[in-house]
Amino acid sequence: MGPIAINGLISANLNLVIAVFLGMGFGFVLEASGFSSARNIAGTFYGYNFVVVRVFFTAVIVTMVGLLYLSYFGWLNLSQIFILPTYLPSMITGSIIMGVGMIIGGFCPGTSFAAVAIGKIDALFFAIGLFIGIFLFAEVYPLIEKFYLSGYLGHVTLTDLTGIKPGWWAFGFTVIALIAFWVTASIEKKVRKKIKEYKF
Amino acid sequence: MNRNYYFLTAIMFVLALGTLFIHERVVSPQISPSELLWDVLQPTRFVTTDQVAKRLIEKDPSLLLIDVRPAAEYDKYSLPNAVNVPIDSLITPAGQEYFGNPGTKVVLFSNDAILANQAWVLLRRMAFKNDYVMKGGINGWMETIIQPKEPAETAPESAFERYEFRKAACQYFTGANVANTGKSSSKVKVVFKRRKKTAVAAGGC
Amino acid sequence: METLPHQEKNKTKYINPYFGGVLMGIVLLVTIFISGRELGISGAVRDSVVATANVISPTAAKTSVYYGKFLKDGHHPMDNWLDYEVLGVILGGLLSGILFKRVHKPFVERGPNVSRTRRLVAAVIGGILFGFGTRLGRGCTSGAALSGSSTFAFGGVLVMVILFASAFAFAYFVRKLWI
Repeated sequence: MGPIAINGLISANLNLVIAVFLGMGFGFVLEASGFSSARNIAGTFYGYNFVVVRVFFTAVIVTMVGLLYLSYFGWLNLSQIFILPTYLPSMITGSIIMGVGMIIGGFCPGTSFAAVAIGKIDALFFAIGLFIGIFLFAEVYPLIEKFYLSGYLGHVTLTDLTGIKPGWWAFGFTVIALIAFWVTASIEKKVRKKIKEYKF
Repeated sequence: MNRNYYFLTAIMFVLALGTLFIHERVVSPQISPSELLWDVLQPTRFVTTDQVAKRLIEKDPSLLLIDVRPAAEYDKYSLPNAVNVPIDSLITPAGQEYFGNPGTKVVLFSNDAILANQAWVLLRRMAFKNDYVMKGGINGWMETIIQPKEPAETAPESAFERYEFRKAACQYFTGANVANTGKSSSKVKVVFKRRKKTAVAAGGC
Repeated sequence: METLPHQEKNKTKYINPYFGGVLMGIVLLVTIFISGRELGISGAVRDSVVATANVISPTAAKTSVYYGKFLKDGHHPMDNWLDYEVLGVILGGLLSGILFKRVHKPFVERGPNVSRTRRLVAAVIGGILFGFGTRLGRGCTSGAALSGSSTFAFGGVLVMVILFASAFAFAYFVRKLWI
């Protein structure tokens, strides 16, 4: 019955050792799927490379659907897993800033680390920027603490908020993602005809 | 290439469609059989009718009386401020709201102690704590509190003291305010916070 | 085709993105099954910033409103599940790079119409913005958008939608960097 670390089936220290291996799996997939290239990531937003959309949304729908099946077979207790808390104003602001940072820098934290591992200098600079950004945040934190903690909704899921069963959400996301895959494939084909020099 | 994608799209769609027809399994915590055996053998879960009467008179807010008999019997007669949770609804989420709340002591009772005892074992199995069984049930309540017997003259001092208390309690539950007995005052809405379930993973960035 | 200076040398093919997505989903599912928590990156960067601040000036760090939150219970700020996981991310990236022969000499990848210096300056600025944003957003693309949405968390979907929308809306203004 999962999560096995929470239910005491493995020790806390073993959980940390496993964390390294889980991280390795994540890093491996990121690099192998092409997230170690800033041009691949930025390409999403210019329509010439949708690898990010494909990997990201496939992962989301596989996990969503997988969680529901794991719960149904009695292998995972969904009430014990961590749910991201929601702080409306600060999370909206943070996401906007992150979006701008992503298109300027060409990475997100996970992908930059995977790219540093294979020797990308731009990724290293992005990672240094991350440290500076978080340091700056810590410095201005006393000024924005109130904003940071405002609009707290708790650890809410979509189901808590709307009353719609998680199955419907998983189904809805899957349908949207599948449609997006087919649409982006045709956009990509059209845009790539115009860009000659980029090797895909 | 494209044919494979049609295939994968169809598989993913069917899998997602399947999630609409399955439901999340709600898992409640349980204790091990050996732990249950140990607790079942302990007599500490029993409380006497005198203790319950005393608490009721003192209006102890931490006491919650649960009548585990069927609703029909509860409607005929029950103890003051008792809440009716028939034994078969103990396993439903609505029935469980009364149990495991921090700071409350739940006392189960039925006509005799047998049904209440069964309910107690069920609750213990579901890892609820702070549940008690009223010794003798409502029959015991009648014999001791409502119609107390005068002890024999040779009985020790404490028996007389208990008798005095029971007479006063009888007065309290029946004489002083007739409307206060039975179910009339028992239909109170008791609102409880849902108890916090099992451990949840810490996480986040 | 000849490689231009701004392009990756000896570039090998990436795995099929859908296959990669399924693998990533499985890694995330296994993570949730084992530890009950999800993958994340930015929290580890925060932990290392906290740890660095604690080394440079322990008293200032402990009295700081933000650092103080992570230095309360006495254990080392880097002794956190996330930090072990991020160590793995770097190792995993390296492993994949070795396996697919993508590990190369230090190299700056950039768009065709941008100088190396400008690319690096943009990378630092992007990093600073992203780092700042992760703290407000309670996580990055992995910790909040990917893991959050996958576990049906409202906050996760919120971050995912707004993050991508914001990047998409802003893309036009920095197109010189990429195309």
